Amino acid sequence: MIFLTNEEMQLIIPELIMLVGLLGIILIPNFGDAKIRLPLTKIHLPILIGGKRFKPTSNPKLPNRLTLFTLVVAFFFGFADRVATGDVGNALSVDSFSRVFFLIFTAALILSTISAAHRIPARSNVKPPNESDSESLVSRKIDALIDNRRQVDFHIILLMVGLGMSLMAMANHLFMLFVCIELASLSSYILVAFHKESAAGGEAGMKYFIVGSVASAVGIYGMSLLYLWNGDLSFDGLAASWAAADGIDPLAGIGVGLMLVAFGFKVGAAPFHLAAPDAYSGASSPVAGLLATASKAMGFVAMIRILIGITLPVEGEAFWFVTIALISVITMTWGNLAALTSDNPKRILAYSSVAHAGYMLAGLAAIGSGIASIAATKLILIAIIFHLAVLVLFKFGAFLVLSLLETEGRSHRLEDLYGLGKREPLMAGSMFVFMLSLAGVPPLAGFLSKFLMINGIVNASVASGSAGSVSVIGWMGTVNPVFWLAIAIVFNSALSIFYYLRIGLVMFFEAPETDNPLKSATSLRLAITVCALLTVILGITSLGDSVLDIISNAVETFIGN
Amino acid sequence: MIGTDPLTVLTLTPLFVGFGLLILPQLLPSKNAKSIQKVSRNISFGVALGLFTFATYLSCKNFSGIDWLDISMGDYILTNEPTTLISSIGVSWIVGADALSLPMIWLTALLIPLSMLVEWDAKKGHLFHPLILIMEGALLGVFVALDLFVFYVFWELTLIPMFFLILVWGGDDRKYASMKFFIYTFTASVVMLIGILVMYFSTDGGASAGSLTGHHFDLIAMAAQDTLIETEGLRHMVWLLLLIGFATKMPSVPVHTWLPDAHVQAPTAGSMLLAGVMLKMGAYGFLRIAVSLFPESTVTFIPLLVVLGMASLVYGAWVCMGQTNLKRMVAYSSVSHMGLIFLGIATMQPLGIAGALFMMFAHGLISPLLFAVAGAFKHHYHTLEIGSMRGIAHHSPYLAAHMMLGWMGSLGLPLLAGFVAEVAILIAFWMTFGWLVVLPALTLIITAMYYLSSMQRTIFESNDRHNGILPESLHGEDPTDVTWHENTGMFILGALAILFGILPFIFFDMMSDWSTKFLETILVAALENQGVNP
Repeated sequence: MIFLTNEEMQLIIPELIMLVGLLGIILIPNFGDAKIRLPLTKIHLPILIGGKRFKPTSNPKLPNRLTLFTLVVAFFFGFADRVATGDVGNALSVDSFSRVFFLIFTAALILSTISAAHRIPARSNVKPPNESDSESLVSRKIDALIDNRRQVDFHIILLMVGLGMSLMAMANHLFMLFVCIELASLSSYILVAFHKESAAGGEAGMKYFIVGSVASAVGIYGMSLLYLWNGDLSFDGLAASWAAADGIDPLAGIGVGLMLVAFGFKVGAAPFHLAAPDAYSGASSPVAGLLATASKAMGFVAMIRILIGITLPVEGEAFWFVTIALISVITMTWGNLAALTSDNPKRILAYSSVAHAGYMLAGLAAIGSGIASIAATKLILIAIIFHLAVLVLFKFGAFLVLSLLETEGRSHRLEDLYGLGKREPLMAGSMFVFMLSLAGVPPLAGFLSKFLMINGIVNASVASGSAGSVSVIGWMGTVNPVFWLAIAIVFNSALSIFYYLRIGLVMFFEAPETDNPLKSATSLRLAITVCALLTVILGITSLGDSVLDIISNAVETFIGN
Repeated sequence: MIGTDPLTVLTLTPLFVGFGLLILPQLLPSKNAKSIQKVSRNISFGVALGLFTFATYLSCKNFSGIDWLDISMGDYILTNEPTTLISSIGVSWIVGADALSLPMIWLTALLIPLSMLVEWDAKKGHLFHPLILIMEGALLGVFVALDLFVFYVFWELTLIPMFFLILVWGGDDRKYASMKFFIYTFTASVVMLIGILVMYFSTDGGASAGSLTGHHFDLIAMAAQDTLIETEGLRHMVWLLLLIGFATKMPSVPVHTWLPDAHVQAPTAGSMLLAGVMLKMGAYGFLRIAVSLFPESTVTFIPLLVVLGMASLVYGAWVCMGQTNLKRMVAYSSVSHMGLIFLGIATMQPLGIAGALFMMFAHGLISPLLFAVAGAFKHHYHTLEIGSMRGIAHHSPYLAAHMMLGWMGSLGLPLLAGFVAEVAILIAFWMTFGWLVVLPALTLIITAMYYLSSMQRTIFESNDRHNGILPESLHGEDPTDVTWHENTGMFILGALAILFGILPFIFFDMMSDWSTKFLETILVAALENQGVNP
């Protein structure tokens, strides 16, 4: 290679695998028996591209399988090499921090691919409609043909999202970060609007695109202000100038503030979250799950990079502390209250994902308060990343159950979940586990992450209360306001239990609208079961410790920077 | 990994077998549904019986010949080598038993096979019996766990099988009942969790290696810590949070309303376990955590305990008199008896606490008997209305005999287990509160009144000397007597109620020794602080 040395190539093997897979999906389905005649001779040379396609390459299921294979291989290479460190060119640097996020993104994409295989199914034996066919048969055949046609499109875009996200986690330059975010975002806008024949899908995609691009534009404006201020957008350069600056330059402060708008949209923080519920409910469940997990994690990488990596002062309060603290409380409360009043499972999950963004922002705010020790900072960061990681299990798991429901029709009414316990005990049980874990009920993984978060915030702030005061009220008066962030999380979790249990209970209480079992989507069922099992196992056994070890390693790498 | 010490085996075996029996048949082809039901039931029953044998063997081997006065508080028997479960937040697997938990462990192991026996022919047996086995694991886990996190997990886990037992096998109004049961107990345990978390944040550092938080959930270490929570107000608050959690489970009066609904709708086996063991979890947790760790707060709040206990006792008994539904009446009598437990603890006398412990055990024998009787009544007469039926003694002599024995035990007839506990509590109450004892003593008369009048109306009285009145729900068919398995289950419970009435010292000596030690080591300091002469 001209651009990369061997060492650099080794560092980004997982990304290269994705790239190869991407090219493979573009090329392989086009392989056929086309031949070209050498001029003036009778020799026909096979050129492979075009013509009548071979049997394996014409299989419409091929793109899905290729994507899954690519992602799984990339995941394993990323996992095996998760401690590798080094720079790639000027704008990318690989370390265990970026690799942890790579694993989170890839895991979410794998789940998305598995469920897409059943949600946007490819059928091998579809014949074009005949004149003798009935009207409904014709429309079904045409639907199937359309689904077959767009297999390649969908999976290319899925891999683009993965590529953008994983490069974004490695970026050590603000411009690179933004380009990669845009690569992932633009691809995800297309994914949201992928079912363009349904009105909801088109509307959701449009809305998401408009709000998202405005947010991006604002962010880019903020970035240009930062460039004006510093003339260098590498993280190291920015951090050095920030530390050296005497007070905060308004230009820089406004720049960072505007960038927070862009990232706030990505994580779904209020008041930038308004498009999220529409996008989630309009998109198909595999895509909605992606938005709720990988896309949110992407926003948090950017937030952590900017807020903790660059603008966190060595001592004292960060200038964004009050803003982020307020936003976090508003986000979690708004999300939970809105979820309480919603009747659409996908909207409920969307608002719950807004609320979860609030919990994690509260963690960031506690770090920025200036009273958190190094240990507390580390603990909170571990909690945030662990939460993002386990969200892939139980948030995406819930979306997987919804996509199983979507294989037979719809999943946007609570009624669609009625009686699932009778029809599909195992799936309903898994969904129940996911809901309890989202609510943070012990001993599930969702409890562990939320608990670590609260623990970090309390550890950071509890010493500020005067121990001598006898009454609780008196003590609460003296304690640092950061402590109240922990209380806000606790109260919001209590509030959220109601709507999570509502989903959980209608599955067992209400009579189903139909008694038929759902489609036997084996791989999807397996994925759901594995997610549910891992949600339990991570919460109660030492496997959770192993994951936390990996993450705490990553956080040490990051804080060390 | 978790070792192979007896209590761990006792707790985890039913959980693994139960979950295995629930999930494995799902993977088999569904052709042989009938045979799967039978196999599943037989395996469950076999395992439950084996565990009961094991528990009895453990009790006899390890607990006979121990001088409990030599054992200081915080020492447990049958402990394991603590193993770390989640090192990052300091959760370990620690189990152990003492005189507080041992009778409960044995009682749980006893009631599980009996409740399976009573509902031998339950519908959907491939789910029913494994669920009861899971219930056993969860209940045993609550009683053996000495790590608050593990304790809480098992505490919550008991909800799930019971929720499904009521929801799937319950009566007509089961949805409402199971929902109410779930919401009440779940909310209460979340409140309790907040209390536990405050305690957790107050533990000293120096937790296991790899801990991210520097705190731990180890109950023994918490008890050993000098002052767990520095601030007195916070201590009281935590105590109250714990009280809310435990009192809802017991249940005590203002938060008792889920119990009658749950009992009326629950299947017989569910009622037996609910009344027999689940209610005791509240009293057990209260003694084990709230009283042990915060003795000063307990002493401060003695008036509250007396009020709660007295209210439960009197109100429960009073409401019983107006009930026409058999199960509802028994449920309210449970509320009333649980009030006695609070009164026993509030006396702060060794005798009172021992009486409360024995009440937990005796009520755990008698109330399952009552619910088994009520279930059999429902099963054979298709009604639970007390007045709809007279002359059971004529039609179903065995049922009538068990019913008599159960009711006599519940009203505290001498030589039955309940009497010992009531007398011990009343004596201790008199020693502490003097003539206030008149109120609980009078309530016992109310108890006798409602039981005797129901007895009169149901078992004996008959307009027609030969036929009695049959309830309309039978549609003119002849009622049958109890089946052999119902009979066996009730017979064992009745025999044990008599055995422990005549020979209470089997457990009572151990309990009173433990209570003496309990008060000595934990409460003396607190009482001195409060200016009370111990």
